[in-house]
Amino acid sequence: MNEIILKLKSIYDKYKIIIILAGSILLLLVPVIFPKSYIMGIICRILLYIILAGGLNVINGYSSQFCIGYAGFFCIGAYTEAILALRLKINFWLLLPIAGIVTAIAGLLICLPTLKLKGKYLALVTLGFSEIVRLIALNWSSLTGGPMGLKGIPVPKIFGIEFKNSLSYYYIFLFLVAIFLFVTRRVINSRIGRAWMSIREDEQAARSLGVDTSMYKALNFMYGAFWAGIAGAAYAPYTRYIDSTFFTLDEGFNILSMAIIGGMGTLIGPVAGSIVVNLLTELLRPISEYRLVAYAILIIAMMWLRPQGLFGASKSILAGKEIVKKARKAEKEAAA
Amino acid sequence: MKKILSIILVLVITAGLFAGCNVGGTKGKTEEGEKVIKFGLLAPLTGVNAEYGKGFEVATKMAIEEINKAGGVNGYKLEIEVADSKGDQKESSDLARKFGDDKEILAIIGDFTSGCCMANAPIVDAAGIVQLSPTASNPDYAGMSPYTFSIMGRQDAEAPFFAKYIIHKYLGMKNVALIYINSDWGVSSRDNFLKGAQEVGLNIVAEASYVQDEKDFSSLLLKLKAANPEAVIIFDQGAVPQIVNQIAALDWDIQICALGPGTSQQIIELCGENAEGLITSTPFFFDPNNEKQMAWKEEFVKRAGFEPTVHPVMAYDCVYLLKEAIEMIGDGEITRKAIRDNLQVVEYDGLGGPIKFSDAGDVTRKYLICAVENGKFVLKAGYDYADE
Repeated sequence: MNEIILKLKSIYDKYKIIIILAGSILLLLVPVIFPKSYIMGIICRILLYIILAGGLNVINGYSSQFCIGYAGFFCIGAYTEAILALRLKINFWLLLPIAGIVTAIAGLLICLPTLKLKGKYLALVTLGFSEIVRLIALNWSSLTGGPMGLKGIPVPKIFGIEFKNSLSYYYIFLFLVAIFLFVTRRVINSRIGRAWMSIREDEQAARSLGVDTSMYKALNFMYGAFWAGIAGAAYAPYTRYIDSTFFTLDEGFNILSMAIIGGMGTLIGPVAGSIVVNLLTELLRPISEYRLVAYAILIIAMMWLRPQGLFGASKSILAGKEIVKKARKAEKEAAA
Repeated sequence: MKKILSIILVLVITAGLFAGCNVGGTKGKTEEGEKVIKFGLLAPLTGVNAEYGKGFEVATKMAIEEINKAGGVNGYKLEIEVADSKGDQKESSDLARKFGDDKEILAIIGDFTSGCCMANAPIVDAAGIVQLSPTASNPDYAGMSPYTFSIMGRQDAEAPFFAKYIIHKYLGMKNVALIYINSDWGVSSRDNFLKGAQEVGLNIVAEASYVQDEKDFSSLLLKLKAANPEAVIIFDQGAVPQIVNQIAALDWDIQICALGPGTSQQIIELCGENAEGLITSTPFFFDPNNEKQMAWKEEFVKRAGFEPTVHPVMAYDCVYLLKEAIEMIGDGEITRKAIRDNLQVVEYDGLGGPIKFSDAGDVTRKYLICAVENGKFVLKAGYDYADE
């Protein structure tokens, strides 16, 4: 796998500008190539899950805090957007960051009392959190519409263009994915990202080197939650109707499985995970009842053959390349 | 090994990219020169609601085979394309888009849950294709678009019927006690019941509520007993058998009525003799004396391998409703729009009761009155009881 990636990477480095230009033009033209709203609907779904699985990957993959209740954050973002848009008629473009910030604050609230928890203990807390959020959405009828849900969420507009179907909404998702990947790449390669990875590798060692682990772990949770909020805020006006049944634990596991199949701890992992899982659910439609069986077999096979996922961080040169490079150099020097 | 695996995965991904292209494009040409009208069915064939989805599939195929055997509609044969929505709103929406893109599909039947139907409403509205749901009962759903219809009946019709026609007219009682589940359904049913009760001057002498999963109702029942009502009305589905049994355990001889469970077989199985005389309302009942219904039930069991509930009956009626609407178009061109316009005005007496749409596109159902006699549900009053 690494040899292939290396080869691809050398080609990429050579023709960087051309590839980026051609790629972005191709991406912009996708709705023209596939003018069917069904296919665009699937592509929109893939893009939505790239943000979700990617955001979860920041938490699970980069700082190795184990969150399985990610659907709860998604839920908060979607309801924040829907409620504020319906009640206060706030503009969608303003609501995107607002929903993100509200969700990030929720992330902080869940993170603060659990800073000392690790692994399965933290996982259980996030699991409970996700269910609590969903039950609040289900029972606080005066605010969230309860089991009736919220309908008629206004569609986003810009310069008189209405984003009211999957063909046009594609551009919103594409825009968000591009920002997500760009910003996250910068964050991962910054001091913050390196601090997260040092916590992942060895928390005590990180602390002994002066990394304020509590602060960085909280920041990590907030950053992951922030993108779930953005994804939720983008999703609510896309379907124009939300209710609590969308944000069950199953949804959280679905996002988690994409992150795992794609591979955690790399930027490209969740992208691949989202594409593979969402395409598979469509491709396997003809075998109807056996669809989920095939899906389960895939996960088992992945765990067996490639436990770190398609593009997972361990033994992959895509993960934290600066650190790996330095480590290799040090290794060579030591050997010499 | 790893190399092979990675090559396979790359192949899968690229194959996936291309496979997306020809979905929806290839459609079988009309066989043997027959003209065909196609419907799409959205149903949860997998997932927690799979039983209902399977029921939808079997029932709609039954209806379509019958219609085709009898010569089809206006010279056309009917066909149905079944798609598994998994009961998931995203998948349901994707499939609604797929049906919307496919010009050969002229109407959609489904989905099972209100949530899926409501998520699909803007999509079918934009595509201008009918989404006729057999089972969506959210009162907001049908009004979302001119193209959204539901035949399950609005949630807010049954409770007033219960107050006016079961308690007041059928039983001729005045003082009643209520016990209801504290959920959105329980509370709104009770509120609607009170509205009906007010109209006919019923007296609510005592009320009690409980939360989901409560097991011991004896203290609540003692409170109701102290008020000395003529009848106790239970608003719930799951807990009805327990409450009935605990009333019997108190040696309290009283008329019991249940709003919500319909003619659930569980009541008889779990309560036995204690359920004798229990009265309930239901929009549909497999009447053992009705040959047509019994034949249908037998055929359904043969094909599906399990007993039908009310839901497949509704799905079966949906196909016939669309057939009626297409027949009404007559010699005109059969389009999605024409089907919608005629469906709005169609009047049809289905297997599951008479159907006529309101302007919003939903149905105010009529209800039957059933009672338990000798360990069986028996029909006590028909659909026209309210009009008599």
